[in-house]
Amino acid sequence: MIYDVAVIGGGPAGMAAAISATKEGAKVVLIERDYRVGGILNQCIHNGFGLAYFGAELTGPQYAKRWEDELKKQKLDIKLNTTLEQITDCKKLVELTVVSNKNVEKIKAKSVVLSMGCRERPAGAINLCGTRPAGVFSAGQAQKFVNIHGKMVGKKVVILGSGDIGLIMARRLTCEGAKVIGVYEIMSKCGGLARNVAQCLNDFNIPLHLSTTVVEVIGEKRVEAVVVAPVDENLKPILEKKKIIKCDTLLLSVGLIPENDLIQDFDIEFDNVTGSAVVNEYFQTSNSKIFICGNVLHVNDLADNVSREGLQAGKFAALFAKNKLIPQNTITIVHDNHIKYTVPKYIHTNSTGTATISFRVDKEYHQVKIIAKSNNEIISQKPSPVVIAGEMQSLIIDKSKIKNDLSLEIEV
Amino acid sequence: MSEQNKIYDVVVVGGGIVGCAVFNAIVRNGNSAILLEAEDDVGAMSTKANSGIIHAGYDPKPNSLMAITNLRGNEMYASMCKRLNVEIKNCGTLVVATKENREKIQELYDRGKTNKVKGLKILERDALLKLEPNLADNIVCGLFASTASIVCPYLVCIALAEEGVINGGKVITNFRVSSIKKGKDIFTVKDDTRTQTVYGKYVVNCAGLYANFINSLVDEQEYPIKLVKGEYILLDKSQSNFVNRPIFPLPTEKGKGILAIPTLHGNVMFGPTATDCSFHDTSTTPDGLEQIKSNIILSVKKPNFKKTIKLFAGVRVKSGSDFVIEKSKKVPNFYYTIGICSPGLTSAPAIAEMILNMLQKDGLKSQPIKLKQRKPYGEHFALPKSELKKLIKKNPAYGKIVCRCEKVSEGEIIDALNSPLHPRTVDAIKRRIRPTMGKCQGSFCMPKIVKMIADYEKIQQEDVTQKGEKSEILVGDIKQGGIYDL
Repeated sequence: MIYDVAVIGGGPAGMAAAISATKEGAKVVLIERDYRVGGILNQCIHNGFGLAYFGAELTGPQYAKRWEDELKKQKLDIKLNTTLEQITDCKKLVELTVVSNKNVEKIKAKSVVLSMGCRERPAGAINLCGTRPAGVFSAGQAQKFVNIHGKMVGKKVVILGSGDIGLIMARRLTCEGAKVIGVYEIMSKCGGLARNVAQCLNDFNIPLHLSTTVVEVIGEKRVEAVVVAPVDENLKPILEKKKIIKCDTLLLSVGLIPENDLIQDFDIEFDNVTGSAVVNEYFQTSNSKIFICGNVLHVNDLADNVSREGLQAGKFAALFAKNKLIPQNTITIVHDNHIKYTVPKYIHTNSTGTATISFRVDKEYHQVKIIAKSNNEIISQKPSPVVIAGEMQSLIIDKSKIKNDLSLEIEV
Repeated sequence: MSEQNKIYDVVVVGGGIVGCAVFNAIVRNGNSAILLEAEDDVGAMSTKANSGIIHAGYDPKPNSLMAITNLRGNEMYASMCKRLNVEIKNCGTLVVATKENREKIQELYDRGKTNKVKGLKILERDALLKLEPNLADNIVCGLFASTASIVCPYLVCIALAEEGVINGGKVITNFRVSSIKKGKDIFTVKDDTRTQTVYGKYVVNCAGLYANFINSLVDEQEYPIKLVKGEYILLDKSQSNFVNRPIFPLPTEKGKGILAIPTLHGNVMFGPTATDCSFHDTSTTPDGLEQIKSNIILSVKKPNFKKTIKLFAGVRVKSGSDFVIEKSKKVPNFYYTIGICSPGLTSAPAIAEMILNMLQKDGLKSQPIKLKQRKPYGEHFALPKSELKKLIKKNPAYGKIVCRCEKVSEGEIIDALNSPLHPRTVDAIKRRIRPTMGKCQGSFCMPKIVKMIADYEKIQQEDVTQKGEKSEILVGDIKQGGIYDL
C-alpha cells in the first residue's frame, strides 16, 4: 500500500497536518512514537492555548483533545507506539522505516510531512560548568515529572533561562510548594512571552534577573548551590560580582532545537538561523516530496501557530501527492537586518490567495511598521507598538500582488 | 559454609579498570574472588572519564612498568574484547607535529622502536590528510601507530566485572573499606557502616585515588601521589566524521596533551586537560574549556563546538614517573597498584596478569576454568533490521523506544537491569546501554527510565538515584498526588 501523505509526529503540527491532508482526499498515515497523540501538549497543563482556533483559553491537554476529536472523525491510519527510524528518498516515493512494539516495517508515501517538534538544549550545549549532580533538569523534563508523573523535582529551585517553559515551571513549582529563588537570564531581555512574565513571575513575586547567568553548579551527588554572576555587554560573566545561591535544583530553559536529525543527511537546503530546512509558502522543502511544519521547522511560541502551519503543510502535501501542486516559479523573500529569518523563505509568483510570513526580529523595537514590498510598492503593512526578539511576528500577504520580488522590512 | 563467612582466595579492593581486570583474571584462573567497590557501580570514578584509547606504546619510557604493561596490554586487548563481547576498533592513532617539531616525531618513533612497538610509520602531510582531512594547516608530519585502538572504557570495565560474576566471582558495590586486619593467614575486611565482613587469603589494593588510604590500613608504605583533573568536551554524533582516529599533539612532561578522539559510538570528544587538584574534583571550569578550545586547533581544524552536548571531567592519579605494582614487604599476601594513570586502561589486563603471577608465586593455586561467556545486551538498533524484527516478535518491549536519541528500547533497559551487576541507577544504566547519552541528554527519556527502575525495583520514583545514595532525582509526590497514566 502506498500512502499519499505520511505525517511524522502527532503533536499540534502533525494532528493538524493529518486532518487537512485527509480533508483534501488523501490517504494518510500518522506516525506517533508515544502511546497517544498530543505530544508535549499533554504535559502543558497551564492555559493559554486555543485563542486563535477556538476562541477560548484552553489547557494543553484540552487543546490537544479538541484536535484529537477532529482527527478521529477523519478516515486515516494512526500508528501509535511507532518510531521513525529512517527516511529514504526513493525518487517518486519516500520510504519510511518504522519500529513499533509489533514490527519493523517499511511505509511508502508520495509525500511526507515532518512534524516532530523540538528538543531542549542540554547543560553541555551552554557550556554550563561545575559538577554534574542530580537535580539539574531541563524545564520540559521537570514539567513531565511534575505534571505526568505527579512527582516533585526539588524544594529550592533556581531557573536559568527565561524561555516560556521556564517561566511556566516557575509558577508550577511554586504552586506545588517549592521555593523558586529566581529566574536568571543571560540576555538583557526576557526570552518568553510578556504574558508569561506577568502571570508566572510577577503574580508570584518571583524575581527575574536579566543580564545574569549561572556560571557554576556546586554539589557532588545532588545540587547544593549554584554560582550566578552578571554578564557584560559581550555576555561574559563578571566574576568579581558572582554570588553563591543555595538551592537543591537547577532548571534549564535555555532554548529549543528543531528535532530534524533524520533529514540532516538529506540533500535539503537548510537555514543556519533556524537550524532547519527552508520552505516555500506551501511548507515544502527543496526536496519537493518533503514538507515540514511546526517546531521542527522553527521554534514557535504559540501552539495555535503550530497548528496553522500544520494545516497548511498537510493540505499542500496532499495536493502534491495528487499531482495538483504544479511546480512554478518561486522567488526568495529578502529581508532587512532587523529580521533574523522568514518562514517561508521562498514564495510563488503568479499565484493567488494569501500567505502568512512569520519571522523573528533581532531585538526590541518600538513604534514600528512591518512592510512588505514588491516592485518597490508596498503590498502589505501593519503598524506595531513593539516587536521583541522573544515573540514571533507575522504579516499576511496577498499573493496576487507579488511581482518579481518580495522584501520584508521593519520601518523603525 | 554460608556466603557470609566465606573465605575468599582473593579480595580485590577497587572496581576501576585495574581492579576489574585483576578480579576477572583471578576468577578465570579458578580462584574465588570478591571485588569491593566504594561507589554504586564499577568504573564510576576515573575509568568512566577515560579517553578510551588502547595505546600502541611508543610514549612510555623504555623498560618502565608503563612501557612493559602497555605493550603487553595492547597485545591482549583484541582477544579480550572478543571474549567479553565488547566492541574494539583498531583505528590506530596519530601524533601530529608542525615544522619546528619534526625531529620530535622521529624521537617518538625511535622510542617506539626501542619499546618494540610494531606498525609505526612516519607520514608526511599528504599521506596524513588522506587519513585525516581535518588536520590543522600547519601540520607537516605525524606518527601513525597502527596497533592502537579505541574502546568504550567503562563498558570494558563493566564487562570484566560481569564475566567475573558469571563465572562465580562476587562484586559488592557501595562497600567502602574502612579496616583491613590480618589474622594468622586470613584478612578481615570491613566497611564500618555495614554489617557484612569479608574474609580473604590475599588482598589486592586497586583503589585508585584511595590506594594510599587502603595501604595505610595495613600499615603499608604510602607513595607520593598527584591528582590530575582532565576535562573533556563531547560533541554529538553529527560530528562523527570529524576525525577517524585519536589525534595527539606531541606529548609533554604534563602528559599526552589535548586530543581529538572519536568514540566507538560515533561522538567526538576533545580533551583531557591536565590540572592538578587536591581531591576527586570532577567539576568542569571555564579555564579548562578555554584550554581545550585553544589547544585543539593546534592539531585539527576548528571543531563545531555548537554541537557540544556534554562537558565532563575525571581525575587520574600519578605517582612519580611510573606505575607502582608491588607486594607488601611487611604484610604477606597484600599487593597494591598505585598511580595507574595513562596508559592504565591499556595496561590493565597486563597488570592483572602480573598480579596473578605474583599471587601464584606466593602460593595461590590456580586451575583455569571452563569459561562461561558474557552475553551482550543493548545495541539492538545496530543490528540488521531483520534481526531486530525477530527480537521484537519475541519480545514487544524491544520495539518500544525509550531513548529516541540513542535508540534504546524498553526491553533493553530491562535487560540492563537484569544484567549480572544489577545496576540500579540512571547513570549505571546509561553507561551500559546509553539511554540519556544522546543529543537531548535525557530531557525526554530520563523520567521514563526513573519510572522503569522504580517499577522494576518495586520502590518509589523518589528513591531512584542518578548515581547512588544521596543523588535522588525527585523529592516526593506533588501536593495533589500523581496523575501518572503511562
